[in-house]
Amino acid sequence: MRTRAVLGGVFSSAAILIGAWSLSGAPKAVHVAAAATTTGTTTPGSGTASSGTSGSAGSGSTGGASPAPSSTASAGKASGTYTGSVVSTQYGNVQVQVTLSQGKITDVTALQLTDREGRSVQISNYAAPILRQEVLTAQSASVDTVSGATYTSEGYLTSLQAALDQAG
Amino acid sequence: MNTGIAERGWSLPEAASAPSEDYRSALRRRLFAADLAVVLCWASTAGAVALYLLSGGVSQIHSKADAVTALGIIAGLAGTNLILIMLLLAARIPWLDRAVGQDVAIGWHRRLGKPVLYLILAHAALLTLGYAATDGLDVVGETAAFLSNRDMILAYLALALLLAVVVTSLVAVRRKFPYEAWHLIHLLSYAAVLLALPHELSYGGVLAAGTVERIYWIALYLLAYGAAAWYRFAKPLLLSLRHDFRVVSVERLAPDVISIHLRGRELGRLGIAGGQYATWRFWSARNWWHSHPLSFSAMPHGDLLRITVRGAGSGTAGLAGLRRGTRVWFEGPYGLFSRHARSAPNLALVGAGIGVTPLRALLEDSRHSGGETALLVRASDESQLYLWEELHTLCEWHGGTAFADVGPRSRATSSWLSADAVRRGVSLQSVFPRILHSDLYICGPGPWAELVAQEAKALGLEDHQIHLERFDS
Ligand SMILES: Cc1cc2nc3c(=O)[nH]c(=O)nc-3n(C[C@H](O)[C@H](O)[C@H](O)COP(=O)(O)OP(=O)(O)OC[C@H]3O[C@@H](n4cnc5c(N)ncnc54)[C@H](O)[C@@H]3O)c2cc1C
Repeated sequence: MRTRAVLGGVFSSAAILIGAWSLSGAPKAVHVAAAATTTGTTTPGSGTASSGTSGSAGSGSTGGASPAPSSTASAGKASGTYTGSVVSTQYGNVQVQVTLSQGKITDVTALQLTDREGRSVQISNYAAPILRQEVLTAQSASVDTVSGATYTSEGYLTSLQAALDQAG
Repeated sequence: MNTGIAERGWSLPEAASAPSEDYRSALRRRLFAADLAVVLCWASTAGAVALYLLSGGVSQIHSKADAVTALGIIAGLAGTNLILIMLLLAARIPWLDRAVGQDVAIGWHRRLGKPVLYLILAHAALLTLGYAATDGLDVVGETAAFLSNRDMILAYLALALLLAVVVTSLVAVRRKFPYEAWHLIHLLSYAAVLLALPHELSYGGVLAAGTVERIYWIALYLLAYGAAAWYRFAKPLLLSLRHDFRVVSVERLAPDVISIHLRGRELGRLGIAGGQYATWRFWSARNWWHSHPLSFSAMPHGDLLRITVRGAGSGTAGLAGLRRGTRVWFEGPYGLFSRHARSAPNLALVGAGIGVTPLRALLEDSRHSGGETALLVRASDESQLYLWEELHTLCEWHGGTAFADVGPRSRATSSWLSADAVRRGVSLQSVFPRILHSDLYICGPGPWAELVAQEAKALGLEDHQIHLERFDS
């Protein structure tokens, strides 16, 4: 009878695993660019400048969830807070908010970061500060992606570029 | 009011009218439940891995590092699933006790210990390697990165506790600890599994909201911890309060053997079967901190119950000084060493020394089934023939015989019989002519009991005909 139990156990487990494997599909390479499609557009209120949040470089990330309206700035050099588009990657959505002062990037705040798996949360938390620093130094979205955090980097920089485009 | 306890404690069973029972369907049901339990252990572990595969785990593999990481995740999922199964196996679930018996369930629990540790160690090692490769760090750097996270610190702590629990349970190491110390360390495994939980929530995406995995894992955790909390802790406490056992008297049978008579309420509701045991805790200054598994040495009579104890160590020796009125808590009744395990018409009982206690209650609880009953008691000298009068009387009542094999064991051969009996050519077959159509109940020290079981198997008895109760765990 013990043999019946062990055979039953082995066969049922094998069936479950084989079934799950075939349903899950073999590993397939997904191209990063293909995965990072721009979905949602700008959130209401974003892009308009406000006096409240302008300036103060490095003032940290406050009020990440609801972007504050920004006040007008002088023509040419934009000032204020701009929210980028939501970029969806296979590990979750990425969205950043940029603060400009007279056309200068003074802060980047991540509103959403890849969070689909605990693993990508860790990657995000590791990559975001590096990207922010690089962007502040380069004053543009054309910086290198962080190795090991390609998805997060691509999404981050894409969203940032969208925000900068709004600022004009 | 303790007059007549001794007499009442071993009054003969009422002549049962039950005709020869059909054991077969009960046996089939029991074996089915036992096999189902094994299949469920395997299948649920496979299921835990399958849920990960289905959630797209493998489709995210793009590099060697990803593959190592995925393997590490799978090891962790399988290991955690098996740990929760181990908790369930040790949770004293009545269904499992009736299907395979508490001792067999604990045997499975033990066998899983090392594989589980290896899986969890592999989980830690593979994920460190996989993450390190992905992040372009070395193992030390990655470990340092892990340790900057609170959830991961707890997870490392859980791993250390798990190591301590498994290592102290290795046979060679376990002997070095008093039972109570080992048991206390062992209970830390409940903490270890919980300490690992935060990192499963934050790092492992398995519990991400809205997934089937989340439902599966929450259900399994609730089942394991709920069963342990209820059957191991709450239920015994409630039963102890309900039945409110008190010591009535302590009766000395031999220099190192006593019978403890207990009085309690509503004993009928306990559903004790002869041959079962309970784990007892006596609330006296000297004894409250240790508990011992002890068999019922008689069926309950009215509100009275009896256990018979040999002073095996400092714990049991201290019971001789118990005072009348001492409060007694218990966990049980447990065990499949009873009529519930019957599978054949005849009854063959073999006991050594104090191992006769469950046989004594089993005889009392067995009905005339048309089959034969015989008992053989092994003792190294006459003074070790405990409860002999009662055993003899009960066997006669069953129309059977009680044999005593008294004398030192054989030095030349390893036999469960005395040297004298070996010389005379005594064997299981000669004592129990119908052994092949019997249920054989064996109770005594582990190695001795194994020798009896081996001889029975050599004669051709099926596993389900052989019932073992080992007093030394
Ligand atoms: C199912 C079962 C039924 C038993 N029935 C009886 C009986 O009817 N009469 C009788 O005299 N003895 C019985 N025993 C044996 C008895 O439980 C031990 O002799 C007793 O627990 C020894 O404790 P100690 O502190 O005196 O000795 P120690 O020297 O501390 O221990 C001796 C041995 O008993 C084991 N042990 C100690 N405490 C426990 C515990 N709480 N649980 C499990 N193992 C323990 C130890 O691991 C060691 O192997 C039974 C044992 C089992 C498992």
